[in-house]
Parts: sequence; C-alpha cells; structure tokens
Amino acid sequence: MTALIAWTQLRRFRPSPAVLILGAFVIIGVIVALIRYAFGIGAISNLNNSYSWGIWISFDLLCGVALGAGAFTMAAIVYILDLKEFRPILRPSILTGFLGYAMVIVALLVDLGRPERIWHMMIYQNGHSVLLEVGVCVMLYTAVLALEFLPVLLERTAWDRPVHILHAITLPLVILGVVLSTLHQSSLGSLFLIMPAKLNPLWYSPLLPVFFFLTAVSVGLAMVILESSASARAFHRGLELQLLSRLARAIPFVLGLYLVLRLGDLAAGGKLGLLLPNRPLAVLLWVELIAGAAIPIVLFSRRDVRQSPRGLLIGALLIIGGVILNRFDVSLFAQQHLGGQGYLPSLGEFAISFGIVSGGILAFAFVAKFFPLFGDEEHRPVVVDQ
Amino acid sequence: MSPTQPLAILFDATRCIDCRACMVACSAENNVPMDDTRVWLTGAGVMGTFPDLQRASMPYHCMHCLEPACASACPVGAWTKREDGPVVYDSSRCIGCRYCMNACPFGVPHFDWNMGLLDQPLISKCSMCAHRLDLGEQPACVQTCLTEALRFGPRDQMLAEAKNRIAANPGKYVEHVYGESENGGTSFLILSHVPFEQLGLPQVPEQPVNTLSETVMRGTIPFALGWAVALTAVAGAVRLNQRGQKDPAGPTEIADQDLVAAQPVEEERAP
Repeated sequence: MTALIAWTQLRRFRPSPAVLILGAFVIIGVIVALIRYAFGIGAISNLNNSYSWGIWISFDLLCGVALGAGAFTMAAIVYILDLKEFRPILRPSILTGFLGYAMVIVALLVDLGRPERIWHMMIYQNGHSVLLEVGVCVMLYTAVLALEFLPVLLERTAWDRPVHILHAITLPLVILGVVLSTLHQSSLGSLFLIMPAKLNPLWYSPLLPVFFFLTAVSVGLAMVILESSASARAFHRGLELQLLSRLARAIPFVLGLYLVLRLGDLAAGGKLGLLLPNRPLAVLLWVELIAGAAIPIVLFSRRDVRQSPRGLLIGALLIIGGVILNRFDVSLFAQQHLGGQGYLPSLGEFAISFGIVSGGILAFAFVAKFFPLFGDEEHRPVVVDQ
Repeated sequence: MSPTQPLAILFDATRCIDCRACMVACSAENNVPMDDTRVWLTGAGVMGTFPDLQRASMPYHCMHCLEPACASACPVGAWTKREDGPVVYDSSRCIGCRYCMNACPFGVPHFDWNMGLLDQPLISKCSMCAHRLDLGEQPACVQTCLTEALRFGPRDQMLAEAKNRIAANPGKYVEHVYGESENGGTSFLILSHVPFEQLGLPQVPEQPVNTLSETVMRGTIPFALGWAVALTAVAGAVRLNQRGQKDPAGPTEIADQDLVAAQPVEEERAP
C-alpha cells in the first residue's frame, strides 16, 4: 500500500532545477569514476608520489566523518542522557550521519588503489596500524547507523518485526555506536602521529586524537543546527528553535575545552613563538582558532544569539568552516611533502567530490520526502508539496 | 656469516660519479621501466664555478629502517622487515591506501598512478633485491657500481667501515653516518662530503616515527572497554535518577519507545 502511494507520487514527480543540477553532478562524477577505474587514479587526478593523498582524503574522508558526528552526539543525548525532548531532531541527524558515512565509503572506493580488496581489512589485520582501526570502526559504525535508521524506512510497512527487535536493543546499539565513533573520530587525528617529521609543529601534537574528537563533537552539533535550518527552509517546516538553542549552549564548553588544550599544548611544547603571524601557516592557525573556535564560543555564550535562527546558523557555519580548515591544514597544507612534486586538485578530483556530495543531498531529500523523517510529522500522511 | 645477520648497504657520496648504472641494473633485475626504477638519482649535481667544481649525487633508495614506519602503518600488514635487513612487500595483501607513502619519513614508496583496475596497480619500492640475498648474492645496484660507491655487508661492519673512512680522512666527510640513528637506524648508510640536505635527504628524528602511534594503538582496546562501561553506567544512573524523581507522582511516564515513537500502523495495513 505504502509502496503504491510512493510509486504514484514518483510518477507525478517533477524534478526541480536544484534536483536536476545535483543529478547532473552525480552523473559527471560517475563518468569520471569510470575513467579512473579504467585508466588509473593518475588519469583523472593530480595526485603523485609527493602528494599521495589529496582532497579525497582531506575533504571526503576527514571532513565527511567529522561532519557526520552529529549522529552519535544526538544519539548519546537522547538515549544515554535520556533527554527525550531532543527526539524530533534525532532522526534527521542519524540520516545525515548515515549518508555522510556512505559518502565517505564511496569516496574511499574511488581513492583506494585496489578497492576490490577493501575486505582485506577484515582478514589481514595489522594491530599497529591506526588506519586499520579507522577502517574497521567506520565499517562497523556505518552498519550501526543503518540499524539505527532502519525503523524509519520500515515503520510504515507491514513488516514491522525488525522494528520491534531494534527497539529492544536500542540502548546497547547506541552505546556501541558512541564507542566506535569516539574511537575513529579520534583515530583520524592519530593517523598523523606517525608523521612527526612531516607535519608542522603547530599542528603536530600527541593530543591530536583528543583535538580531533573534541572538534568532531562540536562540529557534529553545528551540523545538526545547519541541517535543521536547511530542512526548515527546503521543506517549509518550523525550526526547532528551543532545542537548537539548548544544543548551542553546550558548544562553548566543548570548543572551550578544545581551545584551552590546544593553546596549553602549544605553550607546553614551547611553540608559542611559532604563532607569530609572519608566515602563511601561522595565519591559517589563527583563522582556525579565532574564526572557527573563539568567535563561535563568544556567540553561543550569548542568549540572544542562541535564540535567533540567524545567529545559530552563523555560529554553526563558523564552526563547520573552522573544522574543515583544520582537517585540510593537518592533512595537506601543514604537511611537508617529500620528493619535490606539487599538487593542485584537478577538475576530475572536484568532479568526484561534488558528485558524492550531490548524491548525498539528493538521497536526504528523497528520504525526507517519502519517509517519516521529522518527528513533528510522524502522524501525518505523506504529502508531496507541489 | 649467519643467515639472520642484519645486512646493510653503505653509500659513499664522494665516490659517486652519477653514471646511473645502478638504475639500469635495478631496472633489468626487477623488470621495471627505466623511468620508474626503485632507485633514483637525487642531489645538488655539479656545484661551484670552474675550476673549483664539486659533485653531489646519490641513488635514492629505500632506507630499510630497522623499525619501518610503512610496516607499522599498513592496515593489512603488507610490509615486513626481514631479519637479514630488507623491508619487503606482500603485493597480494595491498589495498592501495597509500598510508605507507604518507608514513615513510623518507618519501620512498611509489604508487602506480596510471594503472586501471585491470592493470592491478601496486606500491613499489626497493626490496634490497631480497630474492638475490636468498641466493647469497649482492643487490644488483651494489654489484654493478663501478666506483664502489655502494658497498654491501653486515650492518655493523658497514657502520665500522663508514666511521673508519671519516676518521682516516679528516675534513673530507660530514662527521655523521646518515642512517646510523635516523628513524631508529636504517639498513642503508650514507657518507657525504656535502650536507645531507644537498643529497635530498630529509631531517628525521632519532626516535622511530611510529613510536607514539603504536603506544596509542596499544591503549585502544582498554579505552574502548572502559568507555563502554562508563557510558552504560551513565545511562543507568540517569534512568535511576529519573525513576527516583517520578516515583512519588506515580508511573506517569510512557514506556520507553526508543529510536522511534512506535507507530500505529494497523489502519495503514487495511486494504
């Protein structure tokens, strides 16, 4: 019955210009990926032996995983802290997280030299490898996210047996998800611990895993704010202002802890002298710390900002921009690249990243349209706004 | 010598004449194209003005670290350090993630960028001709070197030889054997008359670069278990606390419905 309704709605579906543009990006991305599989990574990218990791790792992997952190943060708030009032924004966060991780995996299937062997991580395991931990945790956590989101897809069908089973194991599942997330969010920072001679001392620190985890939590909350704001506009819904305002109140504590540890670590390492903004790298760090952390802390400490949709959005965007810059700094800009070759991302690399992001947005919009994604619509029938 | 004695290559930059016979030998021995050999020439080349000319060049090699970062980084364990010296590659495991290239403090591993899925791209780097060592032979580059700029033997003997040359020729060499302590020591040792940067060698700390990451990895499982217990305890404490608060008023709370509020789906099932 539901399938029938959905089908008739699909038949009447007239794609908007935005959908057509996103769809075009997806198709271009698929074509570029096919060229890569036929002729090699070098055929479509500017990656080389000096820069063996480029924007697919800096953006699609490192930023993708960090920006998907809203899912485990919200799940922890709703189920571990048992704050049920946050339930209306839980489902979209979990969907954002699941799609984010799915996008990461698609990007890795393009970036890996031998994607057909990705399962080797399950049989040949080197316990010293941080990347093994990242890979295994990301795979397992994506499965956890899928299970957490499955009820949304199934609950309007007659086949609700799995939904009941999933309800029964929700809390253990959420705890598993939070543990896996803590591990791989921090491990993405640990990936760079093995590069003490290559990563600039302003970023290299034994606390890299802690920094990555704290920024992931804060950017996860910021993404919940962004995604709620965007959904409110795109689907003409009310904004959950009170809930978002309470989330925003937590951000200064997390980012504040990050900022104190970050500056304390620089001071303890005797690196404060490197902060003099006379070199481009020091300027990048200043932008990260001021625009990406200090200003959002000030903004979200003010009640009037937290109560304004515009203030919430600006603060969230600053945090997101700061974390994206941080991930690029650590993995690309502040790295010393041996061998003397340069790197400027190619159009093909952008085509892959754009295609993946576009596919993610389309998938989100599709689920939002045909499934009970938003808490306040749970008892309403599906309506297509034409 | 015993079969498990660690071996090493000694390179003396004062003897290198940039003839590249080592590259040709490597290309032929390992069946790799000349523009993609596992040894490549680096260095400042010819320096100074006539007649005060000086040459600085070197075949850039895998350093065959005593504690290789590539082997520590590889998620699928494709790299291993053999007891007799070489760091070798198991191509059947490699997934092409290229973390080894990022982890290597010397920038040695290379990737087959222009191979599609069917060509089966892999990482390549010098293997110290491990297959030749198995037959009791020297690496191809060493055997072919005309000026004996490359020597091969037990690591302690090569190190002693290097130090002898420095001591016997005051002022000729930089007073350091590159590779004695870099990254915890390597099986490719380098003597030079010019600063090592001019040969294209990076500055690398003495502590193996993988020390910290391996320490963190050892703590992972205990941390995960402790974190899971802590989260469970928090979830339990929160619920106990709520029950304590609500008991006087009676059971007003709706049963926990978890991930989604259970939906009344019955009417939708009706035809």
